[in-house]
Amino acid sequence: MTTVAAIRTVGLTKSFGTTVALRPLDLEVSDGEVLGYLGPNGAGKTTTIRCLLGMIRATAGRVEIFGVDAQAHPAEAHRRVAYVPGEANLWPGLTGSETLHLLGRVQGQADLLYQEELVELFKLDASKKVRAYSKGNRQKVLLIAALSSRADLLILDEPTSGLDPLMEQVFRECVIEARARGQAVFLSSHILSEVEALSDRVAILRAGELVEVGTLAEMRHLSALSIDATFDGAPPDMSRIPGVSAVDVEGNHVRCQVVGSVEPLLDALVASGVHQLLSREPSLEELFLAHYGGESAAEKDAVHAA
Amino acid sequence: MQLEFGIGERRAATVIALSTAKSAARSGAVWGLLFGALVLNDALSYPTNYPTVASREAFAHTFGHNAGITAIIGPARRLDTVGGEMAWRTFGLVIILGAIWGLLTATRLLRKEEDAGRWELLLAGRTTRRHATVQAIAGLAVGWIVLWVLTAAFTIAAGSNSNVRFSTSASIFFATAATATAALFLAIGALTSQLAPTRRQANGLAASIFAACFVIRMVADSVSGLGWMRWMSPVGWVENLRPFTGSQPLALVPIILLTVGAATLAVRFAGSRDLGTAVLARHNAVRADTRLLGSPARLVIRLERWVAVAWIGALALLGLIFGLVARSAVGAAAVDKSVEQSVVRLGGHHGGAAAAWIGFLFLFIAALVAFAAAGQISAMRGEEADGHLDNLLARRLKRGTWLAGRVGFGAALVVAAGLATAIAGWIGVAGGHGHVGFWAMLQAGLNVMPAALFILGLGTLLYGLVPRIATPILYVVVLWSFLIDIIGSSITSNLLLLDTALLSHLGPVPAASLNWTAIGVLTGLGVITALAGLAAFQRRDLAAA
Repeated sequence: MTTVAAIRTVGLTKSFGTTVALRPLDLEVSDGEVLGYLGPNGAGKTTTIRCLLGMIRATAGRVEIFGVDAQAHPAEAHRRVAYVPGEANLWPGLTGSETLHLLGRVQGQADLLYQEELVELFKLDASKKVRAYSKGNRQKVLLIAALSSRADLLILDEPTSGLDPLMEQVFRECVIEARARGQAVFLSSHILSEVEALSDRVAILRAGELVEVGTLAEMRHLSALSIDATFDGAPPDMSRIPGVSAVDVEGNHVRCQVVGSVEPLLDALVASGVHQLLSREPSLEELFLAHYGGESAAEKDAVHAA
Repeated sequence: MQLEFGIGERRAATVIALSTAKSAARSGAVWGLLFGALVLNDALSYPTNYPTVASREAFAHTFGHNAGITAIIGPARRLDTVGGEMAWRTFGLVIILGAIWGLLTATRLLRKEEDAGRWELLLAGRTTRRHATVQAIAGLAVGWIVLWVLTAAFTIAAGSNSNVRFSTSASIFFATAATATAALFLAIGALTSQLAPTRRQANGLAASIFAACFVIRMVADSVSGLGWMRWMSPVGWVENLRPFTGSQPLALVPIILLTVGAATLAVRFAGSRDLGTAVLARHNAVRADTRLLGSPARLVIRLERWVAVAWIGALALLGLIFGLVARSAVGAAAVDKSVEQSVVRLGGHHGGAAAAWIGFLFLFIAALVAFAAAGQISAMRGEEADGHLDNLLARRLKRGTWLAGRVGFGAALVVAAGLATAIAGWIGVAGGHGHVGFWAMLQAGLNVMPAALFILGLGTLLYGLVPRIATPILYVVVLWSFLIDIIGSSITSNLLLLDTALLSHLGPVPAASLNWTAIGVLTGLGVITALAGLAAFQRRDLAAA
């Protein structure tokens, strides 16, 4: 039996005039999966989300939400979707509870008991008018509306902007619970620790193009491992060992990075009388910066060359 | 170093005044050029159009006692002189435009800035809410000065023409009088920005104040024996300045007092309320009322109900006043004849003097109902620009369903406003012992609907195609249509130009019969353009502000 993906994009492209905001994007999010969607400002994250929701028309390609063409039949596709936008723009004259009531009715489904529980968990005073709320409180209203819908797919665009660390923790627990219930989550965020903690897979976008997608383990496997080694005597020349780069020697201490198999490096280290060895996998932040660091370096080189 | 710090501090203390002044001056310059163009055109064309004493006397005879036009743009005095003509036609138009500019500019630079959160950033600097508001009002004053200087410069330039010959002091007084409503409504706009919690509501409140002042002035100018009422309306005070026709500078005193008073109150309220709140909306914790939140269609009613009530109530009140004064307004033989002449020119031919009066003034009602319809398109665009619509369309709601609900509400508002005005007008006529029947008044109410429905349809099409500029285009269409309809025939005989006025196709019912062809064509075009707009909206990207 074939399962239908929560999100499936094929060659999704969006241009604004002559500016290409999204290059052909192929992406899939499965049921019960949390996909972290990363990219710097202007990379095309929000454009992707607005295409997924049919708010903007794709220039080319196809978007399916649980098998429904989201561009041709957005309302039908939205039956199983809840969305938290990056900007918490709500009706200033409505109170928090009135807004939750309205959004629940338009959504067509809301677990009211869970909603009450979320209001407590997020410590929201729902009797206040939206115009009196801080940014964080407005964000809480949207999060509660989305989570309490128990929708099969949660599309979250910078969902914790404005939340304090305690509320961010509550949010993480809610997402973990949603995943455990089989809900899929598309999480666009700049908070890398949040994405690292919650995501099953991570997609990295650069200038409208998907440059990396996979589990963190896969990404780490393909990325450089950081090695710190201390020798009894003078360290050997490690620059010629296959896969080793960025060698930095300081007395009898060496720092380097290794990609691929570590076997040749280990052989060399043992043969040279290594006294202490530390290895560390790259964090998501390092993986992310590795992608963008390269871009910045290239830009710098271009400037120097000019 | 010490000196540099001092300069920086002084700049910090005036940064709000400078930024507000920059924006207000830019807008004041554009409107000042418009006012100047109107002044130049009127002053220089009059001697050409009416070169002889006989032609000027004939012009004065035709329009000098026209009750309908007097009601709209004020009484005419010394129409046989270029100054008298300018103090009537240009002055009557410019004081309306000035008030609109003033209130829109003030609410844009105060309430809108606060709504957008930019005011918060400025207040984080070395200032207080009270001081910041003083600065902003000073900036608005700079905008008015630019408007005044340009109007004065163009009037002086026109006055230097050998066929015109205004003295410099008379020209300066004309410019002061012509821009007095602008200053007044800059201050009133600043005040309503403190009273109302959103820019739209601040605009609505200021516009209601203007409408009330305008109606009082209309009644004072239309009904013999009620001229004293002019002193009850700030618009009447401005009219009492009488530039070029027996100037009365003393009338400046209440204008200045009210302008300063409103500005002072605005500063006081700004200092006493919290940022983001309003004097009329201090209570932020209330019991939930979910009765109108069960569906997007009901949400429109919840969001727009007070706007609709204000429009319907104001129009019904206007209908009642028109009805009440209908008999006395047409009582004087000279006025009676002139109204009937105007109505005949617009296609009216039966029903007597009262019907002629009602028919003429219901064209004014029709323009206001069309403005109400344009306001609904503006509100629709506001929902999208503010990002509220994203919250609805990301859920199960179809774009078409949402838009149909909004347009349906707009159409219901048009119908309700037309009926309410007709019924209130009939009550007024009956109370004033006039002779216009219920069915005739109902027809007058029906007659105001097609143009507004067309505007609603056209607005929907513009919203579907060019959302960011739909509202300004629509307001220009309504304003153009109204002005051409009311004063077009007195400035041109070009039929093509006159035909561009929507209202002229409908006729002054009840003095004329309902023109079913025009009603059908306008309503049909409204429906067709609305459907085309619906189709366009479903195909375009949602567009933020």
